[in-house]
Amino acid sequence: MESHEQLVAAFLSGELDPAQARRWDEHLLECETCWRAVQEDRAGRQAAQVLRQPAPPGLADRVAFAVEVAAAGGTPAQRQSPLPARLRRRGRPGRRLPRRLAGAGMLAVGVAVTLLVVLLPRGRETGSMPPAVAAVARYAQAIPSPGGNQGSHPAGRAAPVEVGRPVTVTAGGQTIVLRIWRLGGTEAVVAVSDRPFPMPANVRGVPGMAMAWTARAGTVSLYCLNGTTSELLAGPVPGAELEALAARLPPA
Amino acid sequence: MDVRAVDDDHREFLDATLPYLDAVWQVARHAAVDGQDPEDLVQETYLRAFAGFGSYRGGSTRAWLAAICLNVARSQARRRQRRPREVPGPAPLDVLPWSRADGGEGAADVADVVIAGLDVEKVSWCLALLPEPQRVCITLVDVAGYTAREAAEALGCPRGTVLARVHRGRRRLAQLLAEARVSHGEP
Repeated sequence: MESHEQLVAAFLSGELDPAQARRWDEHLLECETCWRAVQEDRAGRQAAQVLRQPAPPGLADRVAFAVEVAAAGGTPAQRQSPLPARLRRRGRPGRRLPRRLAGAGMLAVGVAVTLLVVLLPRGRETGSMPPAVAAVARYAQAIPSPGGNQGSHPAGRAAPVEVGRPVTVTAGGQTIVLRIWRLGGTEAVVAVSDRPFPMPANVRGVPGMAMAWTARAGTVSLYCLNGTTSELLAGPVPGAELEALAARLPPA
Repeated sequence: MDVRAVDDDHREFLDATLPYLDAVWQVARHAAVDGQDPEDLVQETYLRAFAGFGSYRGGSTRAWLAAICLNVARSQARRRQRRPREVPGPAPLDVLPWSRADGGEGAADVADVVIAGLDVEKVSWCLALLPEPQRVCITLVDVAGYTAREAAEALGCPRGTVLARVHRGRRRLAQLLAEARVSHGEP
């Protein structure tokens, strides 16, 4: 036997079966206390329902990207599921993703391209890297190389321009905020984390910069600068251009 | 949907769980406290769900996601509480931009007043004043659209308990809003 308050809530949630609903209607006609309880319950329910708010645009893409990174980055989830090989065998890794990303804007397209690249052979070039660095490098692989006649060298005192919106991911247990910045003809991913990015095997030091290193990941250059936070720049341009971009970025 | 039939694959995981993103978002918005970012909470929920997807025993997928989201929010809140705490501000009702009533209004008036003057910010403030069990149940059932059975599964309690908490919470919410004179006819 359900209590009256359970019956009121079930009635207003439409969860009474027909027989219960009929008995409850009959009871309401006779019971002033329950009638008032129903009125208050209905008012509270209508009030709570105004709090419904659709999920922000781009949240689905962010979640999908984070899961993709986790799957490819050596997390426990990836060990349960050898995804890259299976997805390559399917031969249609991006078929469903663009549908989810339709209309989500330039960043979403960037994510889609990135995820495609993750699954292509070139994506394996980051396989030996620490997961956090590999995630940034893979993200940068979606950036097209600057055209030869466009002049990729950042000139003058132009300020970098942020492209799209930031994306937050977790890779290798490290929370990373990814942004894309453009300076002149150069576009690069700027990843910021509270924890220092682990150094890959092929790392080189930067003359005069004790806390900086550079490396290559396939067609992508990496430039990491450590301070209060750790910033990792990645793009399909020479490392020197990333250094120039880093010098002009606003503080993280 | 029985997710046991779904292969342990991240694309299939996303296909099985992303349809419930909106429901998880509703839960995260109201479970996030003390500076937590609801979007971060949603992302962490999905990452933990993905990590546990292979061992998930089945049942309602969105109830499972809600349970994870609430657990993540609680564990993050506990972690934050271990850090140095700020001096708490005034109670929510004291800083509301509207006056409190002296009470004593009839029950029928409560419903009329509330329905006449719904405002998202005020409702949100008043919802935050409810005891946590009632607040969580109202969030799941009325805001996120879970059935009482799904909410019970997410919370690990009987369905009747959920229904009772929802009812008490709704009535208390209505009374708080009426006390705060959320009406077009506010003097």
